[in-house]
Amino acid sequence: MSSNIYRNKKPVIFFLVPAFLFLAVFLYYPFMQNILNSFKVINNLGSSAKGWNDPWYTNYVELCKDANIRTALVNTVKMIAATVIGQLGIAIVLALMVDNIKKGQKFFRTVYFFPIVIAATALGLLFNLVFLYDKGMLNQMREIFGAAKLVDFKDNAHAMLTMMIPVTWQYVGFYFIILITGLNNISDDLYEAATIDGASRLQRVRYISLPLLHNVICTCGVLAVTGALKVFDLPWIMFPKGMPSNSTWLTGTYMYYHAFESHNVDYSSAISVLIVILGVITARIVNAVFKEKDY
Amino acid sequence: MKKMLAMLLTGAMVLSLTACGNSSSGNAPEQSGSSAEAATESTAGSASEESASGGSPVTLNVTTTYAGEDTNAENYQEAIAAWQEKTGNTINDASGSSAETFKARVISDFEMGSEPDVLFYFNGVDSNPFVEAGKVVSIEEIRQVYPDYATNMKDGMMGASPVDGKNYSVPVNGYWEGLFVNKAVCEAAGVDIPTADTTWDEFMDICQTIKDAGYTPIAASFAEIPHYWFEFCIYNYLEPATHNILPESVDDEHGKAWVSGIGDMKTLYEKGFLPENTLSATDGETFQLFIDGKAAFLIDGSWKVGGIEGATDDIDNFTVTYVPGKNNRKSTDIIGGLSSGRYITKKAWDDPEKQKACVDFITYMTSDEMVSKFASVSATALKNGTQVDESQLSSLAVAGLDMVEGATGMAGAVQDQVTQEARVPVFNGMPDIVTGKADIAAAVAELLDLVAAGQQE
Repeated sequence: MSSNIYRNKKPVIFFLVPAFLFLAVFLYYPFMQNILNSFKVINNLGSSAKGWNDPWYTNYVELCKDANIRTALVNTVKMIAATVIGQLGIAIVLALMVDNIKKGQKFFRTVYFFPIVIAATALGLLFNLVFLYDKGMLNQMREIFGAAKLVDFKDNAHAMLTMMIPVTWQYVGFYFIILITGLNNISDDLYEAATIDGASRLQRVRYISLPLLHNVICTCGVLAVTGALKVFDLPWIMFPKGMPSNSTWLTGTYMYYHAFESHNVDYSSAISVLIVILGVITARIVNAVFKEKDY
Repeated sequence: MKKMLAMLLTGAMVLSLTACGNSSSGNAPEQSGSSAEAATESTAGSASEESASGGSPVTLNVTTTYAGEDTNAENYQEAIAAWQEKTGNTINDASGSSAETFKARVISDFEMGSEPDVLFYFNGVDSNPFVEAGKVVSIEEIRQVYPDYATNMKDGMMGASPVDGKNYSVPVNGYWEGLFVNKAVCEAAGVDIPTADTTWDEFMDICQTIKDAGYTPIAASFAEIPHYWFEFCIYNYLEPATHNILPESVDDEHGKAWVSGIGDMKTLYEKGFLPENTLSATDGETFQLFIDGKAAFLIDGSWKVGGIEGATDDIDNFTVTYVPGKNNRKSTDIIGGLSSGRYITKKAWDDPEKQKACVDFITYMTSDEMVSKFASVSATALKNGTQVDESQLSSLAVAGLDMVEGATGMAGAVQDQVTQEARVPVFNGMPDIVTGKADIAAAVAELLDLVAAGQQE
């Protein structure tokens, strides 16, 4: 009797069907419709298509010629690099340091995780004030130290860096928590044995912590890269419409812009198809690079 | 037993999902499709039954932009409560903040055949989809049945549809655009505040003096909001009667006016009259410069009166005046108009129970008294003008009223005739234009091509 329920798969299917239907209606159907929309003429959100583009692949030709899409792709790659190196790198260093202290671990866990619970829009406004040209926190500090000229942290020369710093900072805590949980799962016996064998702290990190943390780092790597592909809210708050001079577009912000600002809905659909294709390709590459090991 | 338990749990989950679905559609403010009609019917319930037997209260589905942070949201709620009490009719209000999602919802409702009975919406190109589809009734058609409908309004100012030039909506409050001035900055720089007689060249000299005194003459973000200066700069090469005519090509009279006007914007940038970070700052940042006494002038609309009142403790330090003109445009020729109004949809018009109620509701909401309450300092189409108690207004608001009163001509913003998609080459391309990376004529030509492509579609 007790094992019968595990053999009979019908209840399981019964549970799975609602979720599948939900996904089919709210994800797969819109996605297929979106592909069709990318070949049509749609000039307003909410309005139906006015027919097919002539030729039907017009938007995809436009994608190839659009300088802003090139900027968005390059910036997205930069964002992925910043995410992997900045978010994951800093998180690893912080996790290793916190794991090595005996007191205050809980305190640091809370402190580093805190940015995650703040809404991205609030963070965007916060960093807008930090980087503000006139009366911004950084420019005020520079003035205290004798700088005579204000620096525009949002001009062409600084814009991408100014965007990446808060994006990176926001999610360090997320990976920090995952990594420190992974570190806590490593048996103390291994460290004790290494200490008895005369291993230094650095050697324990190099030969015990990092190898045993490999699979956790891989998971974080996949999450970081896929997260960087989707980043939207904070950059849009800080640099709306690709400001300055179309230099800060990301694939997500550029798609949003065409859907909600310029009302070129069909072109926006084409960009979203491109984003999905890029996401699938990137995910495969990342899975190959961050391959998990069996121990 | 466990099998039974599993079945029970599954059933409970499916039921709870269904229940969630029901409650959300029941509570949703945006009634659309059959759900809106169902809600209407259920709310009207007995009313509909009574209507069938003769002249009983009806329920109107009304969609407006008087919601959220809109300054008239409270006025609107008070007004519809009073109308409901007076007539016994019911308003099913589905108002939303005037954002892109709201516009999408309205357009989508019309497409799906679930449009409201009365709609307060824009009368420019945004209304084209439902006007072209014949889903709203023209004022002319309404007057054939109700001759007194909207007769307190000036027909020429109602905001004719770009589709066929007919009036479809009855406007409530409009807008004007003017040159807001920080008096303290002008005083510190030793310049006079521009007046109705100040010319563009004199204005350039004033800006130079202000700049030399260490202030920013003009608070404007050419990266985000270049359109106010765009309007007045091209207006300077046109007149009130011709400002709203879109160029057919970059080489015709209007096309050349646009190129020259945008050229003047480039000159403003090159002379350093704009904030140093105008190409990377947001509108909010440049506005703050103006409020903080670091910039002297700001072109904005009548809605900014409230914004400045809220941002400063010394409202008397601010005033609004005419944007200095050149060529055939007098400084007293302003930009303004009535960009939205109340529509009756064809669906409601064809419903004998709702038709009279719709007309009655709009007549009530567009009476002289009600329009005066909603409009305050903004422009209206009232034949008798607004009845505003100036003692209740700030000095800035009074200056706005005086400016409109002294205007010699008014033209609507020409950008309202250009779709968002077509604006991109000039508005979004403004940083490249003023820095010389993009050619002005080429950008205007691209805009006009997009306009032409949109008209063909």
